[in-house]
Amino acid sequence: MRILKSWRYPGNWPFFRFDDRLLLMLMAAIVGNFSGLASVALNRSLLMMSEWLHHFRHYWWVFVLPAIGAALSSLFLEKVVKEGAGHGVPEVIYSVSRYGGLLRFRSSFSRLISSCLTIGSGGSAGPEAPVVISGAAIGSNIAKYFSLNDRQRVTLVGCGAAGAISSIFNAPIAGMVFAIEVIVGEWKSVNIVPIAIASVAGTEISRILQGNQIPFSHHLFKIDLLNIFACLGLAVLSAGASILLTRMLRSMHTLSHKLPSPLWVRAAIGGCAVGVIGLFLPVVLGEGYHSVKVLIEGKYAQGLMIVALASFAKIAATALTLGWGGSGGIFAPCLVIGSLLGVTYHHLLALFGPSVSWVNEGYYALLGMAGLISGMLQAPLTGIFLIIEITGGWEVILPLIIVSAVTTTLCHYFEPASYYLKDLVEHGHLLRPGTDARVLSDLNVVELIEGDCIIVNQNMLLRDFVDIIRKSHRNYFPVEDEKTGDFLGIIHLDDIRPHLFNPVMYDAVFLGQIMNTRVETVHPDDDLLDVIRKMDMKGLFSMPVVLNNRFLGLISKATILDQYRKELMVQTSH
Amino acid sequence: MESRLLHIFRNNPFGRETLLQSIYFCKKVGASPVIYTPKTTKFLMYFDNDVVQVDLDASYLNSPDTAEKHAIEILEQAGMEPRFLDPKHYTASTLPDIHTNFDYMCCPRSISDMSSKIGLGYIGPRVRRIVNSARFPVLVTSPVYKEWKSIAVFFGGSANAVKALRLGFHVSRVSGMQLDVFTQTGKSSKEDYQQVVKDENLEKEMDLYINQWHFFENRVFEENLYDVPHDALVILGAYGHGIIKNFVFGSMMEKIQSTISNNLLIAGPNYTILR
Repeated sequence: MRILKSWRYPGNWPFFRFDDRLLLMLMAAIVGNFSGLASVALNRSLLMMSEWLHHFRHYWWVFVLPAIGAALSSLFLEKVVKEGAGHGVPEVIYSVSRYGGLLRFRSSFSRLISSCLTIGSGGSAGPEAPVVISGAAIGSNIAKYFSLNDRQRVTLVGCGAAGAISSIFNAPIAGMVFAIEVIVGEWKSVNIVPIAIASVAGTEISRILQGNQIPFSHHLFKIDLLNIFACLGLAVLSAGASILLTRMLRSMHTLSHKLPSPLWVRAAIGGCAVGVIGLFLPVVLGEGYHSVKVLIEGKYAQGLMIVALASFAKIAATALTLGWGGSGGIFAPCLVIGSLLGVTYHHLLALFGPSVSWVNEGYYALLGMAGLISGMLQAPLTGIFLIIEITGGWEVILPLIIVSAVTTTLCHYFEPASYYLKDLVEHGHLLRPGTDARVLSDLNVVELIEGDCIIVNQNMLLRDFVDIIRKSHRNYFPVEDEKTGDFLGIIHLDDIRPHLFNPVMYDAVFLGQIMNTRVETVHPDDDLLDVIRKMDMKGLFSMPVVLNNRFLGLISKATILDQYRKELMVQTSH
Repeated sequence: MESRLLHIFRNNPFGRETLLQSIYFCKKVGASPVIYTPKTTKFLMYFDNDVVQVDLDASYLNSPDTAEKHAIEILEQAGMEPRFLDPKHYTASTLPDIHTNFDYMCCPRSISDMSSKIGLGYIGPRVRRIVNSARFPVLVTSPVYKEWKSIAVFFGGSANAVKALRLGFHVSRVSGMQLDVFTQTGKSSKEDYQQVVKDENLEKEMDLYINQWHFFENRVFEENLYDVPHDALVILGAYGHGIIKNFVFGSMMEKIQSTISNNLLIAGPNYTILR
């Protein structure tokens, strides 16, 4: 029994006591393998479902398939696993920001099943975000099982996300960069090494089970200076599409919530609309990997108007699927929209510069993909490395960097937070390590209360109070009701200085007459960030903490800053 | 600072009984109840090393317009100031996060199943998870409001039992009620248990607070439970042995709660707060 108990606490094993980074590396490999397996499972399930439903594609009623899939997905999430819809990446970032990466066990499988139903039936969404939350939840629960601390748990959450992305795209660098840039938000060796190991493990699992292949191979491009400059226009176009997609996703979400009907009905309505679009433009259906392949190989034989329309239709279909309650992510739709946009841009270039030797449309499709990923995620490195790895296109690295950088900058100008972070930023939930908000969120009012205050009552004479001041080292004196003990106000020495130097007043003034009754108070449950904001706004240095009209103590800026510094050192020491 | 008890209010007669139990407990231990009137059937509780999603049964949302009014009425009748918990943070924008910075929590035997299903011998999975993860002890109430007049601590010598004993001392001190300790002697003798108390430096408190230390000699534990006063608050540790031992031999806490209908105050393996 003792052996079993010690098994749960590997941090206590002599081997790992020597250096706990070794423990994290071991755990990272385990998490990477499991999250890789989750990705492969979803990938295979999607393939199976797609093959099975393929037989029904020629029927007239095929447009209801995405509706059925989305409704089932919503019912599964709502009634069976009792989770909210959405793709889950913000949930992972939220838990990393606020709760040391704690995620529910059910999240390790729920989104795999729900997204399989949504995407497999034709909904316009990607399987990447579901595998990210799945991998992250696997990491979190493994950390929980082995009783790892918060810092280690957050790293394993990053490992899960890295393993999942690496596995689904066969792209270890992109997985690693995504986990650090988007999920963990902290470039430190203590995170990088385990996350790199998890990426390798996830990729290897995928290679063993699915073979080592570049998902979207392409022909070699000969890129001259003109074609590098031309990518600037595509960056602007990508930024516009990213902003449009972000806003459409949000407005569809708001619109769907105005409909007084169950979630599954809303999801079905969104799915049905996608099905109708898919009847005319099948490129919008599903995760769209096949379409991306065709587009970057330069085999999408449609004219400018059709390609442009398909780009917009894919944006609308993605917003309808995800905004109305379907389950899935935005990675794959971004790849499809980006590649369609790239081809559109190539057609435009050919139209306005027919005598110029433009590189073939696959090149622009590739750049468009990087642009959309960078624009939506505002994570340029993820965009660059992902496209390079999934296409093997190292020769396009220079224009890729330009497109990613320009798109990210432009998007940041119009949408200061990425699609993943927008809600979190709006609600003040994005607390990246080492930031002001994060440090303050780890402290609370109760632990900073200074209780060594001298409490006075309203009927005390100024003369008696002067005696108290002589013995005290404080400038603030809370006043309580003599009978009820209720907090009445506070006396700040600066406010009563004129009275102190006028001995005539000593026997004529009661404290009740000179106390400040309109004092700003703090509740023990208040957020420290709000408290410090209040202090800054009102120019206060101390505030009384009051609960149920009872004075609990003072909270001062000096104590907050002292603890802040200590907490900052703890958070940034590793 | 005064201690606080978290109470999830169920707006029906069963919930009223539970709230009355909470109020009585708070009055005895000098705590103030903090009421959460759920607006959705789901919420999350983030503990140190676990996150528990509580899926309330639908009866918690009965007539949401009157829930707060009913809770206020009950609290004011008891002379207590109503304090409500308003969640500040939400997971996935929809699930309220209920913070766990409390000293006690009150739960009926189940919060995920309809009250009609609840009976002795059943503790819901969510309540188990909360007991397992919480730093505070959980007050698992009897189905009908019942005032307790004394305290009974079950002491089996384990680390969790020692925690329960310390909690018993605390409750006895603040409530001024007499405390009895009950021990089922099995392989270990009386002296072994007394040695545990000595090793934990609890002899002084034993002399100070304990009315009587009962040792059950009868091997059938459930039969011995008849000796526990029906109007005692039963304090006990739970889930201290790990999943396998509990699976093989069964949990002592489960045996107790399935046999007696007293109010239980359960200290889980992570229970640490003692003021």
